[in-house]
Amino acid sequence: MMERSLHLRALTLVAAALLGLWSFFPIYWMIASSFRPERDLFAEPTLIPKTIDWKFGSYRNLLELTDYPVQFANSVQVALAVVVITLLISVVIAYVVTRYRIPGKTVIIGSMLYAYMFPPLLLAIPLLSIFARLGMADHLISVVLAHCTLSIPLGVWMLWGFFKAMPFDLEEAAMVDGCSRAGAFFRMVLPLSAPGIITVAIFSFLLSWTDYVFSFVLVNSDANKTLPVGLASILGTFDARWGELMAGATLIALPLFVMFMFLSRYFIKGLAAGAMKG
Amino acid sequence: MLSFRTTSDKLLLVFFIASVAVTLVLILFPALHAIQLSFYQSESFVSARTWIGIGNYLRVLNEPGFWRAFLIGLNFSVLTIVLQVVLGIACALLLDQPFFGRPVIRGLAILPYLLPTVVVAVAFQWLLDGSLGLLTIWAERLGFGRPAWFEHPTMAMLIVVVASVWTWTPFVTISFLAALQTIPKSLHEAARVDGAGPWSRFWHVTIPMLVPMLTVIVLLRSIWMFNKFDIIWLMTKGGPLSATEHLPVLAYRRAFMQYDVGGGAAIATLSFAVLSLLIIVYFYFYPLDGKDGNQ
Repeated sequence: MMERSLHLRALTLVAAALLGLWSFFPIYWMIASSFRPERDLFAEPTLIPKTIDWKFGSYRNLLELTDYPVQFANSVQVALAVVVITLLISVVIAYVVTRYRIPGKTVIIGSMLYAYMFPPLLLAIPLLSIFARLGMADHLISVVLAHCTLSIPLGVWMLWGFFKAMPFDLEEAAMVDGCSRAGAFFRMVLPLSAPGIITVAIFSFLLSWTDYVFSFVLVNSDANKTLPVGLASILGTFDARWGELMAGATLIALPLFVMFMFLSRYFIKGLAAGAMKG
Repeated sequence: MLSFRTTSDKLLLVFFIASVAVTLVLILFPALHAIQLSFYQSESFVSARTWIGIGNYLRVLNEPGFWRAFLIGLNFSVLTIVLQVVLGIACALLLDQPFFGRPVIRGLAILPYLLPTVVVAVAFQWLLDGSLGLLTIWAERLGFGRPAWFEHPTMAMLIVVVASVWTWTPFVTISFLAALQTIPKSLHEAARVDGAGPWSRFWHVTIPMLVPMLTVIVLLRSIWMFNKFDIIWLMTKGGPLSATEHLPVLAYRRAFMQYDVGGGAAIATLSFAVLSLLIIVYFYFYPLDGKDGNQ
């Protein structure tokens, strides 16, 4: 009996190590390659880089010779705009739907869930048609609006679950104590729903930051591209500059890793709620 | 339940109506516009359109390319979904066990899911690069020569499948991990007392409790994998010789490269129809006014 559970424990550890290796190895290799000097990239690779390029040549080339810094700024602006718009709209819709008598609320929530399942490419074709006619193609605003088609349904859907589970008594008590309804909302509801709101903010940021399809379809000029499209176009134009590509990939992933490190419990909560599409 | 009486209520109502209107315009309008576009012929997104009724559909459905792409998409989604679900459940069961370093492994196991698809595509392409890729060099050392990964139809399909499974399995893992936590410990205890071994407890206690989550996951994954554009486009562009060209890539080529907006919209609308069918099934199993909902 003892023997067997020892075997089982050893097996668990081996399986866990394999899982960790499988998940992390491509990421490790990407980061390691971004720090290898160019001459090393063309030699037989070693698992641990023989030399590290302390001049960060790949990063320098990327940042000095391409539009990457502009695209980084584009991605930040777009993602922040998406987060703000998503929060404003989804908090209002989810709150009103859970607290007020609204005709057709199931239809509203149902269509949000339906929209949340829409694949980007299906919306990208008509969106380009609309934006092109409005003269808004190749514009960051069109990218922001397109990303909102992903993030608003997700936000409403998540906050709906969140507000629904929050007891109504708390607000009523606050109102009985003399708070106005708006006061009760800002003093009671918002602070209490902070975890839900942070989760929605993180996931709208993530959806926008990682999106390739919408920006790819809606934006043409290099100066208006977001990071994922910028990286993909380096893959196309530079004839496989792998060092720069790995540096670029690392720079897109880095903010996500940092966020994940500090906010992992919100990530887990969101993921467990089936929050992100992909 | 509140009704709209005070001034702040009415202000909120205005915000609410505005928010719903914005959302409708953003989502419903493009969806309807896609259907509209599919009934017209037009050379580009800004040129004049001619109404041709169901002409685009007849044309698209009569092409062998459409059915080929449909089958390729079916292949891709069935393969990726089966692998994601099986591996995802296995990983969830593993990560549910206590072991040394579990938080670290859990964190690592989620990481691939957070990566933008473009990073996944670029990282895998670097590993498989024809002359400098690590896996290419390892394959050569093992005596397989230098595999031309992306030039072989079956191999190219397998590569996009593996890359997809690598990225999207954590979604399944986390969902099941959450579901495992909802199984009351007492059920396992009772089964143990009744003499059920670990294997039998897994089949008769764990699996039945996971079935609701399993339906949700399989439906969601089917919807997304069948319409997944970016991973395939970024890794193979549908090649070699359209061996990985599924419906989204076909629709993209039509609308954006061959300037056949109507044809592309028709393919997208057909995919919408398939998708809606799956969503109706979802709502059938999990009605919104159901007591636990799905959150």
